[in-house]
Amino acid sequence: MSGALAWFLVALGLGVVVVRRRSLAVALVTGQALVLAVSAHGEPGAAAALAVRALVLGLLLLLVVSRTREPRPVRSGVAPLMRGGFAVILALALTWLVPTMGLASRNAERGVLALIAFGLVAVATRTATLFQVLGIVLVENGLALAALQLHNGSSAAIELGVAFDLTLIATVAVVFHERIFAEFGTGDAGALRSLRD
Amino acid sequence: MTSSELLALAAVALPALAAVGSAAAPRRAVGALATGGATLSAVAAGALAVATVGRPGTTAESAWLVVDPAAGILVAVIGAVGLASVVVSPSYLSTVTGGLVRASRIPRLYYGLLFAFWAILTAVPVIGNLGGAWLLVEATTAASALLVGFSGTPRALEAGWKYLILTSLGLGVALLGVVLLAATAGGGLDALSWQALARVPAGGQTVLIAYVLLLAGLAAKIGWAPVHNWLPDAHSEAPAPVSALLSAALLPTVLLVAWRSSRALSPAVGTATAHSVLIGFGLLSLAVAVPFLWRPLPWKRLLAYSSLEHMGVIALGLGFGGPVALAGVVVHIVGHAAAKALGFYAAVPLLSHEPRAGGHAVGGVARSEPALAATMGISLGALAGLPPSPLFLSEVLIVAGGFAAGRPWTAGASALLLSLGFLGMAHALLDTLAGRARHRSQRGRSVGLRTVTILTTVTVLGLLALTAVAFWLPGSDLAHNLAAELP
Repeated sequence: MSGALAWFLVALGLGVVVVRRRSLAVALVTGQALVLAVSAHGEPGAAAALAVRALVLGLLLLLVVSRTREPRPVRSGVAPLMRGGFAVILALALTWLVPTMGLASRNAERGVLALIAFGLVAVATRTATLFQVLGIVLVENGLALAALQLHNGSSAAIELGVAFDLTLIATVAVVFHERIFAEFGTGDAGALRSLRD
Repeated sequence: MTSSELLALAAVALPALAAVGSAAAPRRAVGALATGGATLSAVAAGALAVATVGRPGTTAESAWLVVDPAAGILVAVIGAVGLASVVVSPSYLSTVTGGLVRASRIPRLYYGLLFAFWAILTAVPVIGNLGGAWLLVEATTAASALLVGFSGTPRALEAGWKYLILTSLGLGVALLGVVLLAATAGGGLDALSWQALARVPAGGQTVLIAYVLLLAGLAAKIGWAPVHNWLPDAHSEAPAPVSALLSAALLPTVLLVAWRSSRALSPAVGTATAHSVLIGFGLLSLAVAVPFLWRPLPWKRLLAYSSLEHMGVIALGLGFGGPVALAGVVVHIVGHAAAKALGFYAAVPLLSHEPRAGGHAVGGVARSEPALAATMGISLGALAGLPPSPLFLSEVLIVAGGFAAGRPWTAGASALLLSLGFLGMAHALLDTLAGRARHRSQRGRSVGLRTVTILTTVTVLGLLALTAVAFWLPGSDLAHNLAAELP
């Protein structure tokens, strides 16, 4: 994988951490998955699984955005620049901590770790439920990149299974998001604070 | 294909068929179909257990299927808890007025999801491949998250959401471990079979990192501390029959995946290292759970923290290894499943008898509803490890296994934490049954008490039989077979 492509994927991921608009974030992760699918042209099974997953998830999430218009933007407790800073620091820390993973290129390894870090930071710092789902998708995109960069090629069966599972999880998350929106009038996970010990 | 392999496939296929049937059946036929499907599924699961445990030395294993005593025991546990949950479900459903869907669709959605969860869960112990196991564990999240949030209340939605996000994220971390292992082992699904993983070359730092990531990710699903935050919420807010399946069946089933991974990768990462990771999670889970067992908690939340404690105990047993500790683990998994499931079933009559019990600790149940108090007392006493509970013997075996494994300090610390946990649970037992009622609330009819009382009788007989088995198990072929390394 070329360095430019890895950096492009990382930049799309960082965008999800910092942008405010949900639809833009959905477009970023969908675009990221489609770029991954295109880069997997040597493995048609894996590429097809990734492309279908990207489109299905993208359409599903955009539909949800249109069905659950927020009366006002859900504000995260952490400012966008801070979120971006956290994400970059965690990505650098992971790159420093995790030794060579045995993927086809070091650029790809760094890209995988960065996307996982960005996904974790998105889930931890964004309170909008949809952004938390996008954080999980971001992590899975990073893992899809890792699977595609295995020396002996990815297994189409695994790609297909992961794509199916992720779509299933995202669909269930969408059901919850809509119910939470209906119950609380907002898709803000910050409203979910009644269960504490 | 051998008869054991056919039984394994039947144990997975029958609940899957029941899921489809329940979701599609006419409303009036759903209950009967569910009972029939659950009975057949449980019979297939029991037959698999008899076939595998009766011949502990024989293991059928391929890249996709593994039929061994560990799988047989877990499939039987899932089958028994699944059947009991279906038996209790009509009582639970009679108390439900709304939920994720409109009232007329509730039974079909409920049973459809319950059987789908059951089928996926049953496939986990018999899958012969780490990649496949990961996919199945992730799929259990989808089915069970909807069940956790089934009542549609704000608290249930919060619990379901936390469960979905935290376990999915954890499994993402585990998947990174799987990908790293695939890279080391040679790529493709075949390279991830349990047997192939046992041949991964030793000494590589990547394998160690992959192993730690895998277990850390699975820990989020097992409910090990410090990634257990979803567990008390999901267990307390899910419908009681589902809580029973989550605690008694899901947690130990995912634990089996962790054990199979640890066993397969021990040659590559070193047996001591592989075991130390399990022991670390076990001790931490015990240490985190014990203080909560001393606090007055709502009934289902108390049971949830008890799950954290017991998953820690099982992790310790797996980490100590050896026939004695692993015999303790087998007894602990089965005994915990029986006692914990009974405790959650008792929540159905308890919540109708005393609605405040959903959010507050209850007291003095023996005075207001003696039969219900007996069930709760048996469940809590067994979980506390009060003799003749099999969990007392299993904990003794696990601690003894720790000493036998040359880890006296860890075994001593475990014994201390277990004693503190016992005292906390004993305090809760006395308070719940004979203590002062904390709130004077209007008490109602105990829905489903008769069913739960019958289940209590069956459970008591089962627990006593298990106590007898616990004396024989450490010296058995089964325990030695479990302790043997993969060929």
